[in-house]
Amino acid sequence: MEPPPEEPAAAEPADSGEDPMTLLLRLRAQTQQQLLEYKSLVDANEEKTPEEIIPEKQIETKIEDLENEIEEVKIAFEMKKLALDRMQLSTALRKKLEKSNVQTSELMDNMKHILELNRIIMKSQQESWNLENKLLDVKKKRFELKRASESKFLEIQTEKNKQKDDLDSMENSDKIKTLQQKLQTEIQITTVIQHVFQNLILGSKVNWAEDSALKETVLQLEKNLTMI
Amino acid sequence: MSVLRWQDQLPGLNAATILLVGTEDALLQQLADSMLKEDCASNLKVHLAHSLPLPSSVNRPRIDLIVFVVNLHSKYSLQNVEESLHHVDATFFLGKVGFLATGAGRESHCSIHRNTVLKLAQAYRSPLLFCDLEVESFRVTMAQRLVRMLQVCAGHVPGVSALNLLSLMRSSESLFLEDL
Repeated sequence: MEPPPEEPAAAEPADSGEDPMTLLLRLRAQTQQQLLEYKSLVDANEEKTPEEIIPEKQIETKIEDLENEIEEVKIAFEMKKLALDRMQLSTALRKKLEKSNVQTSELMDNMKHILELNRIIMKSQQESWNLENKLLDVKKKRFELKRASESKFLEIQTEKNKQKDDLDSMENSDKIKTLQQKLQTEIQITTVIQHVFQNLILGSKVNWAEDSALKETVLQLEKNLTMI
Repeated sequence: MSVLRWQDQLPGLNAATILLVGTEDALLQQLADSMLKEDCASNLKVHLAHSLPLPSSVNRPRIDLIVFVVNLHSKYSLQNVEESLHHVDATFFLGKVGFLATGAGRESHCSIHRNTVLKLAQAYRSPLLFCDLEVESFRVTMAQRLVRMLQVCAGHVPGVSALNLLSLMRSSESLFLEDL
């Protein structure tokens, strides 16, 4: 591959006439930061890298774990810094308060306001807590009532089912069957007797259409009595 | 030297050097000009290169930040960048490398999908920036961002290191794609 052309387009901006003191301080901060970076590089190089070839997936998971570690350390550091700042602020405030009494009227007003607000907050929180407890009690009672009504419904249903079962079993019992059998035989006997009467009347060559009683007996036989 | 290593040279006093690698020379030049116009306390040096490896004959200061510019309109620039990436040492990828994708504004001309560049940036765990370098205002904004990144990578901002910045720049989008 032919050596690619490189064009350094270096045009350094003119110095903005900085105060030499600030320049020195800034350079000092820079060199400190760079020194820190090199130190961390040296520390990192002291760790041995594993020699075997690890599949890519594992490397990725390892990288993610390490990144998570970094993030956790950063978060812990930020929290500690916050806590330190808060402590420093509170001590500074305290010292200032101890020093001067007259000029801190604004501060005192602010703090009194804060205390008042805190009191109101606590009171309203207490009230809301009480209300929540009442709500909880009402809910409990409602739940109990629901459960009682459910059990009652269950009882009613079992009773109904029992009744239905009794009815069914009654229908299927043997007593009814024998009764039905007897009824059938009686009906058949009656039918036979009626047929006999009919044949008698027809055989005697009597004009049965004139007499209403005979007419009734003959015509009645058309009703099929077995279909009761 | 065929592999670019970060710790080969000592840093210059109050100097920060950025290396822009890409095939679009005009765009790189414009970006370099915008960066140099930025107000910055340290001395900025912008180096432009078509591709790596860089010729070792030139005496150059320590490079603090490499930005690979990929033009979404041409596959050749992506290929070029991928080949150049082989010549960069692993220690650079701890925050001192960034990818810049340009040309995403004109969707019809894009021949590289956005996801390709995204995957490339994720594979190398480096931040990916999108910018239309042809538009003046975007270029100026990107130049400001790059100057700030360069300052952090060169160690000129106390309390923030390149690795720190890298974990800060990890966007939520890349986190979602990592779960897939």
